[in-house]
Amino acid sequence: MTTDSLLLDPESLERERRELERAWGATPGLRGWLSDTDHKSVAKRYIVTALVFFLLGGVQAALMRIQLARPENTLLGPDAYNQVFTTHGTTMMFLFAVPILTAAGLYLVPLMIGTRSIAFPRLNLYGYYVYLIGGGLLYGGLLLNQGPDAGWFSYVPLAGPEFSLGKRIDIYAQTVTFTEISALITSVEIIVTVFKQRAPGMSLNRMPLFVWAQLVTAFMVMFAMPWVAVASQFLAADRLVDTRIFDPAAGGRPLLWQHLFWFFGHPEVYIIFVPGLGFVSSIVSTFARRPIFGYPVMVLSLVLTGFLSFGLWVHHMFATGIPQLSESFFSAMSMMIAIPTGVQIFCWIATLWSGRPQFRLPLLFVLGFVLVFIVGGFTGVMVASVPYDMQVHDTYFVVAHLHYVLLGGAVFPLFGAFYFWWPKVTGRMLSERLGRWHFWLFFTGVNLTFFPMHLLGLEGMPRRIYTYLPETGWGPLNLVATIGAVTIALSVVLFLVNLVASLRVGAPAGDDPWEAPTLEWATSSPPAPYNFHLIPTVQSRSPLWKRPPDAPVVTGLRSDMREILVTTMLDAEPDSRMRMPEPTIWPLLAAIATGVTFIALIFTPWGLPLGAALITAAFVGWGWPRARDTRLQREERGG
Amino acid sequence: MIQFPGAHSAHDPAGPQALLLDRLGDLLYLIAAVVYVLVAAALLAALLRRRRAEEDAEDPARERRMATAVAIAAGTTVATLVAVLLLSFGTGRRLTATPPPEALQIRVTGHQWWWEVEYRDATPARWATTANEIHVPVGRPVALELRGDDVIHSFWVPNLGVKRDMIPGHATSVLFQADAPGVYRGQCAEFCGAQHAKMGFLVVAEPPEEFAAWLDRQRDSARTPADSLARRGQEVFLASSCAMCHAVGGTPAGGRLGPNLTHVAGRRTIAAGTLPNVRGHLAGWIIDPQQIKPGARMPASAIPPADLRAILAYVESLR
Amino acid sequence: MTAPVRMMDASRLPTTVFDHRSHMWWGTLGFMLIEGTTLFVCVASYFYLRVNTDSWPPDPAELPSRLWPTVHLVVLLASLVPVVLADRAARRLDLPGLRRWFVVASLFALSFLYLRWKDFVSLNVWWDDNAYGSIAWMTVGFHGTILFLQVVETLIFTGFLFSSDFEERHFSDAADSTFYWYFFVGSWVPLYLVLYLSPRL
Ligand code: HEA
Ligand code: HEA
Ligand code: HEC
Ligand code: CUA
Ligand SMILES: [Cu+2]
Repeated sequence: MTTDSLLLDPESLERERRELERAWGATPGLRGWLSDTDHKSVAKRYIVTALVFFLLGGVQAALMRIQLARPENTLLGPDAYNQVFTTHGTTMMFLFAVPILTAAGLYLVPLMIGTRSIAFPRLNLYGYYVYLIGGGLLYGGLLLNQGPDAGWFSYVPLAGPEFSLGKRIDIYAQTVTFTEISALITSVEIIVTVFKQRAPGMSLNRMPLFVWAQLVTAFMVMFAMPWVAVASQFLAADRLVDTRIFDPAAGGRPLLWQHLFWFFGHPEVYIIFVPGLGFVSSIVSTFARRPIFGYPVMVLSLVLTGFLSFGLWVHHMFATGIPQLSESFFSAMSMMIAIPTGVQIFCWIATLWSGRPQFRLPLLFVLGFVLVFIVGGFTGVMVASVPYDMQVHDTYFVVAHLHYVLLGGAVFPLFGAFYFWWPKVTGRMLSERLGRWHFWLFFTGVNLTFFPMHLLGLEGMPRRIYTYLPETGWGPLNLVATIGAVTIALSVVLFLVNLVASLRVGAPAGDDPWEAPTLEWATSSPPAPYNFHLIPTVQSRSPLWKRPPDAPVVTGLRSDMREILVTTMLDAEPDSRMRMPEPTIWPLLAAIATGVTFIALIFTPWGLPLGAALITAAFVGWGWPRARDTRLQREERGG
Repeated sequence: MIQFPGAHSAHDPAGPQALLLDRLGDLLYLIAAVVYVLVAAALLAALLRRRRAEEDAEDPARERRMATAVAIAAGTTVATLVAVLLLSFGTGRRLTATPPPEALQIRVTGHQWWWEVEYRDATPARWATTANEIHVPVGRPVALELRGDDVIHSFWVPNLGVKRDMIPGHATSVLFQADAPGVYRGQCAEFCGAQHAKMGFLVVAEPPEEFAAWLDRQRDSARTPADSLARRGQEVFLASSCAMCHAVGGTPAGGRLGPNLTHVAGRRTIAAGTLPNVRGHLAGWIIDPQQIKPGARMPASAIPPADLRAILAYVESLR
Repeated sequence: MTAPVRMMDASRLPTTVFDHRSHMWWGTLGFMLIEGTTLFVCVASYFYLRVNTDSWPPDPAELPSRLWPTVHLVVLLASLVPVVLADRAARRLDLPGLRRWFVVASLFALSFLYLRWKDFVSLNVWWDDNAYGSIAWMTVGFHGTILFLQVVETLIFTGFLFSSDFEERHFSDAADSTFYWYFFVGSWVPLYLVLYLSPRL
């Protein structure tokens, strides 16, 4: 490929820009809105939807906390409580955390690597609709008093056909299936986008750590999610067509479910944790005003975390009495995973040490992340000790651990990311003052809610109980936890107020309000549908900080149709150009076909032939007219 | 001594296993606290330290110094983790010793939502079956054989440091010992459905002679009640649905869906550690268990007051 | 922008590329890994149940028959011939060749539907007899969904080849379709060994 020096003439640039606008812009109208395949729109929908689920999960948390605030409270009976805690866990894990964190990647990865689109935009949109249907199914069930009630890991035989009547568990199984489909699609999107679409010069070793984190997450999703997808189909089959996979009376094994679930479930918690590490790296680097110290070690740690996370699943099953040798192995593996996590924390500290930290809001949330997360990390190391776990397994101690790591390791970074990238996404700043209130209330609330739970666990309080006897003496600490939850709710309200206020009166952000180093800040806020008019080239890990004055830009991509630059996997050298498909309504229709199939399968095995027919139809509709678009386009242009 | 609901704290060990776990815990808390303070201090120092105006963020000499510091921190992390691991293995080894021959064998089966307790013996006639209250002699190891009848339950007694799942189709075992006499509360730890919350039990640790006397009593059949009200109660009991679910030794009542009632009056609690075993609660339970444990596998029964009084007298005679 | 800017001209880069240079290839590879993992989970579950069961297949189940599954396996392997030829035709941008071999592949594809049914029946156990029957049916079924999608995709694509909508860049899609075909045949071989031969060991 040639590089020439040329004077770009403003007039032709402007013409090109208008063409790009037309080629990449969404079609107006409802149908256009439903077919909009812009990765930024899809990601925004994911994020808004996931936030709604966070609020719903939070409302359930509030209900549980009120019920448990004092002994023998009667707000929720056992039947309601069990549906509520199960839906809370399922919502937070499957409908909030994973989608919102990977959607941040769907939004930002293409911008950070300097491309115009995600790899398979229609499939991406399909993934969103499938996720939406999955969430709708769960809440539809809950409204009809068919909310799942066997916990977010629904152990058999309790969740099997004999002990869970009704459709509650079937709804759980299919909700899981829907969210897995969508997560798997996202993972393929991210992997292919990262491998093939990086701006020229962004070799793998120049990729932002954020992108590395998303890449590692995508691979973890790819190898972990199929386990639960298969397991949930086994469960659904046991319930619907009397297969006996988990039925001890017919040679089935309840423990098989636990192995399958946790082989997914453990990587799942790191799937939730790793994207947050990416947010933190971006924020720390920006506000320390220097690149992250120890980039290669950071990358290695991320990759290692991904690998190790597949070797820990049995630490959720120590109390089942598996052989001691394997217990020891899984115990050791669980502790070793603290090493890459620790190393990353040390590198951030070093970065801040040598930088010139600016105390902006996102950095405050990073501080909260470290201080809260490592409490959970240390309790993680404790429960990884087999004998210690014998006391605390399935008690509130574990509830404390999981919220410390999830809120510390994922929600704090997520809030930080909101304050950091909101200006890019909306073009407006969030209020720093409200944000500080949000932070301090949230920080206090989290500790107030979850710290007492450690003590409760050690005082004998098991998890998943809808009430407890006054004589147990657990009342006061539970009351404290409830007060903490109210504090968290308050902080979340402030956060929402901040978002809404910013949309109306927020100060304009400009392209790069933080003077950050990565490419997403090189385009307008909010970015145009085509992201970049001229694809930049990259010469360093901090392209906006260390950019040679003569850095070339890419020209020659067509501006009259959706075309992107494809580069080589390792060194990101320009290799080919690719047409991106036009938006169509088929992703929605195909998602509906998928939804009808799996929902029908809750009730009857005839869902299978029905699904075969529907999916065939969707295939035809989706696959066939791919060339018609071109013809239409040609006609439009008068060709 | 706490009689109801029984002592239930991991911090108050009453046997060698629990003691080991408590000590391990204390060490772990200490290590965690120290590391926490160090990390937090480093972080705050990094944020707040005073900077000279001419400092260069990426000064190569300092980068090298920081690399050393990170390496030392990582090395310390590894060393700490290895230490924790060895501690944990050491404790683990001492916990899972094979049961000595003199260990008392007890079989406990988890049901939704109560515990069946069987003291087996070489001669089947000497078997004793009870429920929700496990007596053990102080100072003697106890080997439990754990089974799940319907769904997975988990046997947990914090003060004695035992927890083990009870899995249908797959018996598990665990060893423990109580050194201090007392009443310790146990609780089902694995979520098992509607009444997981109210699936408790008691472990009563008593001196060996008392234990032996207790066990002998458990092996006996129920005595035919002496007073007439209780005798009438027995008739009502046997004639009504009670006998379909409950067994009373020495009578035709042989149901196995509910707890064995042969010596129910001698137990401290009813409904799996949920209520003190006193007349008022007993009456409330028999009339409407669903009020107390919604979803429990025992139906409410419309018993005329006179019959109820008779049944209560009978049940209370089952010592 | 008026200052001189250095430019990298992309206009002469190709638009039809194959294998690891193509997006679709990577996407296909991604889905193969996902589906491969799915099948691996089935096999892992199969062996988990097996090691925890005294006799396999559990009495009184019969051993699976080998005749039809072996026939199917042979047919699957034979189908690779037209598919490889189609793959080559795609790379030569040879539309008549591509059409010819996709038609042949479609005939194979149709036969798979019947043969897959025979695979199920040859297990000689029903899915609700015992855990062995369940896992065997589920494994064949999971591979069956891959098979079904491949059949549908092949038939549609064959139709598409004969329509006027076909453009040059679709040659790459054709090559990816054959790529997936290799996977779906290849992944059946271990399943065949596990399900139909290993119970005799
Ligand atoms: C974000 C999610 C997340 C993360 C990151 C972690 C991190 C860890 N978790 Fe956690 N875990 C959960 C989410 C998570 N967990 C959830 C949701 C459950 C419950 C599921 C359920 O039952 O519902 C669970 C349950 C769980 C169990 C099962 C407990 C039980 O049921 O009895 C175990 C057992 O080993 C465990 C271990 C660990 C370990 C060792 C880590 C380690 O990765 C932690 C490593 C980090 C640190 C240690 C801190 C930083 C390090 C340093 C500052 C260096 C210095 C450190 C030392 C010297 C020690 N976790
Ligand atoms: C990312 C995951 C995540 C998050 C963020 C949370 C957040 C919270 N969780 Fe939860 N939790 C889990 C994941 C999570 N949890 C999991 C996996 C389990 C295990 C489930 C199982 O056992 O199966 C669990 C279980 C669990 C339990 C144990 C239940 C039991 O064992 O019986 C409790 C009890 O207190 C609890 C409490 C809370 C609280 C108080 C919050 C708070 O932080 C929530 C704060 C948020 C809000 C309070 C929302 C604010 C709402 C508003 C401001 C109202 C606006 C509303 C509208 C406009 C509609 N959680
Ligand atoms: C359909 C079965 C069934 C019938 C009929 C039934 N019970 Fe029960 N009973 C149970 C079960 C199951 C439990 C354990 C409930 C629990 O704790 O969750 C129980 C518990 C009890 C207990 C408490 C035992 C303990 O140790 O905790 C008593 C006392 C009792 N039943 C008495 C009666 C009497 C008297 C009748 C007749 C009027 C009766 N039951 C009828 C099933 C039954
Ligand atoms: Cu039994 Cu929980
Ligand atoms: Cu885990």
